[in-house]
Amino acid sequence: MLDFLRKSRPSTPPRAPRTTTALFDDDFQKKLETLAIVSRRVFAGRMRAERRSKKKGSGVEFADHRDYVAGDDFRFVDWNVYQRFGRLLVRLYEEEEDLGIYFIVDCSASMGFGSGRKFDQARRLAAALAYVGLANLDRVAVIGVNDEVVAQIPSTRGKARIFTLFQFLEKLEANGTTNLGDALGTVVAQHKRRGLAVLLSDLYDPAGFERGINVLRYNKFEPYVVHVVDPADARPDLRGDVHVYDCETGDEREVTVTDSLLDRMEAAYRDYLADVERFCAKNQVPYFPAGVDVPFDELVLRVFRRGGFLR
Amino acid sequence: MSFFGFPPSVLLGVGGAAFAATIGLYILKLRRRPVAVPFSPIWQRVLKDKDASQLYSRLKNLLSLLLQLALLTLLVLALGDPRPTALAKKGETTVVLVDTSASMQAADVLPSRLAQAKAKVHELASGLGGSDRMLVAKMDASTVPVTTMTGEAAELNDGVDRLVATDTRVDLRRALAFSADVLHGAENPQIVVVSDGALDTDGAGKDLGNVPVRFIPIGKRGRNVAITGFSVRRYPLDASRYEVMLEVTNTDAAPENIELTLLGDGNVVDVSRLSLKPKERLPRFYTDLGGASQKLEARIRLADGTKDDLGADDRAYALMPERRRARVQVVTHGNTYLDAALLLDEYLDVATVAPAAYDSAGAFDLTIFDGVAPQAPEHGGALYLNPPESGSPVKLGRVLSDFGFDSWDKHSPLLRFMAVDNIQISHGHALIPDKDDHVVGASEQGPIVVAGRRDGHPYVVTGFDPRDSDLVLRVAWPLFVLNVIHSFVEEDATYLSAFRTGEVWQIPAPSDDAVVWIKDPAGARHEVAVKEGRATFFGEHAGFYELEGSGKAAATLFAANLVDPDESQITPMKDLQIGGEHAAPVAGFHIGIRRDVWVYLVAVVLLLSVLEWLGYHRRITV
Repeated sequence: MLDFLRKSRPSTPPRAPRTTTALFDDDFQKKLETLAIVSRRVFAGRMRAERRSKKKGSGVEFADHRDYVAGDDFRFVDWNVYQRFGRLLVRLYEEEEDLGIYFIVDCSASMGFGSGRKFDQARRLAAALAYVGLANLDRVAVIGVNDEVVAQIPSTRGKARIFTLFQFLEKLEANGTTNLGDALGTVVAQHKRRGLAVLLSDLYDPAGFERGINVLRYNKFEPYVVHVVDPADARPDLRGDVHVYDCETGDEREVTVTDSLLDRMEAAYRDYLADVERFCAKNQVPYFPAGVDVPFDELVLRVFRRGGFLR
Repeated sequence: MSFFGFPPSVLLGVGGAAFAATIGLYILKLRRRPVAVPFSPIWQRVLKDKDASQLYSRLKNLLSLLLQLALLTLLVLALGDPRPTALAKKGETTVVLVDTSASMQAADVLPSRLAQAKAKVHELASGLGGSDRMLVAKMDASTVPVTTMTGEAAELNDGVDRLVATDTRVDLRRALAFSADVLHGAENPQIVVVSDGALDTDGAGKDLGNVPVRFIPIGKRGRNVAITGFSVRRYPLDASRYEVMLEVTNTDAAPENIELTLLGDGNVVDVSRLSLKPKERLPRFYTDLGGASQKLEARIRLADGTKDDLGADDRAYALMPERRRARVQVVTHGNTYLDAALLLDEYLDVATVAPAAYDSAGAFDLTIFDGVAPQAPEHGGALYLNPPESGSPVKLGRVLSDFGFDSWDKHSPLLRFMAVDNIQISHGHALIPDKDDHVVGASEQGPIVVAGRRDGHPYVVTGFDPRDSDLVLRVAWPLFVLNVIHSFVEEDATYLSAFRTGEVWQIPAPSDDAVVWIKDPAGARHEVAVKEGRATFFGEHAGFYELEGSGKAAATLFAANLVDPDESQITPMKDLQIGGEHAAPVAGFHIGIRRDVWVYLVAVVLLLSVLEWLGYHRRITV
């Protein structure tokens, strides 16, 4: 009879079913819950008001409980539970018309280049943002792409699904070439319900990063670009006569690496980042650079402050 | 330019092979290290500019090849040992004699004259040509080479660095004789003397022939006050008291005031101030001193607190002979004069026995046989007074009558302090000494006092009974008896005086040891062989020495001093005359400039290699 209560312990994240992984360890999960609380506290006024006005008269399907906090509408307090257990819990309802959030993780070989820090950072960010979304009863889907859709988890909701997401992200591998245009074309074709499309990628697309973002824009999605950036890509630890080849396409070139060449390389990389940011600004696409050296929770908070992700 | 190394044909072959190998390696394509990059379009964007300078890169690669070929050319030329034809002459063979005597410790040129001499020899070594050879030897009381005859500057410099000054004077004759032996048959021989010029040139250079001697003067001035004499003696008839004789010399042309300090076992015994006129030698006596001090040391210093230029002669050392009771056995039928003489020294333990009760196994330092000559003693020495033919260590010659001392050894310790010239002897025998025996005194008709050794034991024989002369009525009689006793006890290595540095010392040592150890003032131990009760050692430094035998006996001390007025004359000489000829200044050495061209070629190779490394590996040019 109390199963619904056991499933919806709002103040602590669901416990891991068996073991935690290195990518999503206990520490990571504790930070997730902190982020969820912070997201409610910081954005509660704006976010809940908007959602409530939207849900008036339409959201009737019970979804979950959570602890009562000051400011909640008394009408949603579950007095039956209070009578039986002495705890103030607020009933949460499903929306009938929700947009959903799509986390599109770049799984090309360049994301796993070197020690794979970009890929790990992208998966951590995806997991964290997805958890916040699940905690706020958003409909969340995660899709891995390179030059096609390599794996995806269908839209789901509720915090209890977070471990499914963890396992899904854990199994993703970084290989193959990048073609965001084709891959995201497949994504928009498979998902008729429009919503927020968070693209987590290094945007190393030989065909041009603009194409993939434009596919989202032209198909009524709201793209949000999380640009995963590794400083080592800007100034690689190289010297002397080397034979460089692209880890995805295999394009090769002989070059003598000098300090001046590395300086030019660094400048070119900065230009590339500036190109991406300029494109996003021009097209009103929220753009967020995510360095691999920055802790993911700090990045998530920056995302919140930047706005656009949570409404 | 001539080649003194490999011939040109070999150089061409080696150079050709090296050039071919270098060009072949250059033609082979460089195998580059494959490196993956995450996104090549960014590299393409950068390298688009690089393509424009491709021609420049090729030129730089060509320059790299040309640089390598240039380095090879220089190295191949170096193998040929090229030299200017003007210098293609036979090398010089040089012996450098570096003065390491006491005067070279003078500090009129800082840090010392020896250091300045070393610097001069270093310059000579650096100026050696490819076929020049040089040997460096230290020159003081002995002459010892410190290097081989070599053209290697490094070996010469190492040898020069090992030179140290001693407390001795220079034996120039010995040094030049050594040099003449070394240079015998050598091409273009010459001798270079590096010295302050305080040299005794009498008789030096007789064997040099046509070998030129060159001179490098050292030193600037010669302000010096020295201790030129220091000795101590106990009074013969009161050995508990002693007397010190000390002599100081002002070698400078200006008067000096000095402070003279006498120390006994490190404690000040006397301090006095003296004024010395220019070039004055001033003796000074400390009489009737007493006390238990064993080590005596004299120090001088200038009264105004400044230092003279040579500190080595500002100290002198002496050792008070240690007193111990001598054990004396008298074999006699009775001799009042002998008993009286032996009563004068309180440090004697005298045992008198009749000839019939004599036991040769007794442990005595001296046995006196008065008119008898039974079996020789097994320990110590023996004094025979008018011995009979049988048993005497010396054969008796003809009978003498009314004779005296017509000749005697004035330096013999047996006759020390004695006047023997008018002693009258009524009768006796002439003595017939063996080959190794020493005649101490003789009349016109033959030896009458003989000393020597038999079976390792010393003895003294008189060919007359003192009672048959007026000797027993003279002061000389007890002196003679005590001199003999002290002489024999001294041979047991307990009565040592100061030695003079720079001489070979014959140090009394325990007779039972074949080897003893001598510890010098610096603490170094030297193993020294013992022969006939004497350890032979060449001492170079002033101070107190210790002699240790293998037994449990305590170490024996002795002292050594420079005390050489000639060596203390440290005014530097600007000219050196040997055999009446002036020694010319050094010529032929282009000091500091090597005449080997290959050295410069290799230096250029190294310089170019460094530039290439900086330019290429440090990525300054590419």
